[in-house]
Amino acid sequence: MNTLISSITPNIPWGIDVPNYFWFTGSSAAAFIISSFAHVFGMERYKPIAGFSLLMAFVLLVAAPLNLIDDLKQPGRVLNFFMYGWENFGTSPMKWGVILLMAYPVLIFFEAIYIYRPYFVKKMATLSGVSHTFYGLLTLGRMGMSQEDFDKDHRVGKLLGIIGIPLALCVHGYTGYILGVVHANALWHTPLMPILFLASAMVSGTGFLIVIIPIFQKFFTSMGSVNHDTMVDLAKLLALFIVIDLVIRFLWLTFAMPFNGEEKYLVYAFFELNFHEVLYVEYLLCLIIPMIVGFSALRNNFIVLYCAGILSVVGVWLFRWNTVIGGQSIPKSAPGFLHYSPDIFSQSSIVSIFSNWGILIALVCFILVIFPWDEEMVESYSKRVNHGK
Amino acid sequence: MSEKNSRRSFLRQGFGIAALSGLAATSASALSLQNPGRDAGEMRYVGDKNKHLVMVMDLRKCIGCQACTAACKVENKVPTSQYRTFVLETEIGEFPDVRKGFLPQLCNHCDNPSCVSVCPTGATFKRKDGVVVVDNTICWGCGYCLSACPYDKRYFNTKTKTADKCNFCVQRVDQGLLPACVETCVGGARVFGDMNDKTSEVYHLLHTFSTTVLKPEQGNKPQVFYIGLDNKINELLNSTQSLDDMVKKHDGIHAEWSKTLIKEM
Repeated sequence: MNTLISSITPNIPWGIDVPNYFWFTGSSAAAFIISSFAHVFGMERYKPIAGFSLLMAFVLLVAAPLNLIDDLKQPGRVLNFFMYGWENFGTSPMKWGVILLMAYPVLIFFEAIYIYRPYFVKKMATLSGVSHTFYGLLTLGRMGMSQEDFDKDHRVGKLLGIIGIPLALCVHGYTGYILGVVHANALWHTPLMPILFLASAMVSGTGFLIVIIPIFQKFFTSMGSVNHDTMVDLAKLLALFIVIDLVIRFLWLTFAMPFNGEEKYLVYAFFELNFHEVLYVEYLLCLIIPMIVGFSALRNNFIVLYCAGILSVVGVWLFRWNTVIGGQSIPKSAPGFLHYSPDIFSQSSIVSIFSNWGILIALVCFILVIFPWDEEMVESYSKRVNHGK
Repeated sequence: MSEKNSRRSFLRQGFGIAALSGLAATSASALSLQNPGRDAGEMRYVGDKNKHLVMVMDLRKCIGCQACTAACKVENKVPTSQYRTFVLETEIGEFPDVRKGFLPQLCNHCDNPSCVSVCPTGATFKRKDGVVVVDNTICWGCGYCLSACPYDKRYFNTKTKTADKCNFCVQRVDQGLLPACVETCVGGARVFGDMNDKTSEVYHLLHTFSTTVLKPEQGNKPQVFYIGLDNKINELLNSTQSLDDMVKKHDGIHAEWSKTLIKEM
């Protein structure tokens, strides 16, 4: 038997901020896609939550990059990224990914102000002073309330949505791409990684909407109750996205383990080490159970569905953690798997994550105060009822 | 009137041209495909384009004394608990057929370095003589190069808070000296030199002995070559944990990233 007597513990770069960042961008992309079901594809059943989802996509994406800045060892040198190293544009996904990351929230913002323009104009009439001017700026100076103006809002909103769909897919796809290109890492190195990340993102984004929409419908709209049909629609979507996610994970794991070359031994060892956590928590509890809820009559029970939403959100976060942190725990040239326990205080620590979620909540409140999302939501529901009659 | 007009248009055009050229000059100096040091063609950034610097490790001569590890730390002021080079110590076989095996490791100064291509700031790059270096005044510490290195030979320097690694002691090599680890190696296991020089020892060794590199399947084309590398050591790299780690665990020595205890694979 051969034994290692001494070596060093290698330095591992990415901490808890990175899986959190991946979760945020992924959920943002999914919320954008769900809003586009109505804005681009004209699916009326998603219309009442389309505007709200779009705003959620925006806040998630504004909060997400803060994780990245916190994970930098020299955050004061952010400008160096923009000034130097452009010869690596084609070979460093981080280089072009950040460009996408900056373009995407700008696009969502413009789509949102086009969609909400008529509401801004209405709101302006009731306001004066600074607030009046502020909403005037958000309308981009277009005050018309004729059908022609509404059509233009709709047209531009749809166009931005059409551009936004590939952009949203790219913004989250690139995060998978960043990991997928690292051939040094046995767990990450697969062309499936961007697609896998997108599939799990759709699960976490839908789960996030299942968790957050009822709170806002019940407590912050004039409806005062949760719309059952919307929740059922989201439950069906969640189950469908979980199926897609499971299929891609099946492809990933079968190619990474039984049918792989030398790398399979390390991947086997990794999953052996984390077997119970991955199988029972990540797959059974957080994917299979929410899928069963989404496909069965259980989805009609609000409490059960809400719990399924929470589980899917947590499950995808765990998947991000197991991929980013787990991948880095695999030994490369000094034997032995590594164990990561994040610091409580410091950069990329548990406090950083809580702070980031705090910023997200603050941004949600801020954006929802500015945008008359509640009015739009209630109006969409009443239109749907009238249409149904 | 027309004179006034022409003067005004002249001034307008003049200001326009001045503003545009000013903008162009600013952006030309501010935006760079590489980084300012390389753009200026400084010797320490560019190196000697006629050389191809490599290292040969003659494992038959390594006795695992760690003199290289110590010399490197002193020469390069490497922080405590961090290493640019070290010697892995193994036990191969079972009593009574047992022997020690050593594997000195450092940055492989790959011909096709995966750490360089992913760097988003151009802080890490390959010099013309093949040495892969990091400009720690540019690096923003994103850690992508640390992930991309198949050999785990990069770390975040706790003093500079940037990516750091072996630089073949270019500060010495550019003055005509040898890297600190090579100069101190008691057994003469580490040999350093210019592959393009047919009279050099590395040229002689590489053309006389069969050599191999670590993880050739990664496609990085490492430029640190080993004579007498036993595949048993290579296999070890991906398998067991070290006795050292078990002792650290037993003594409760904690770090953000530490070794995990698992059963033998």
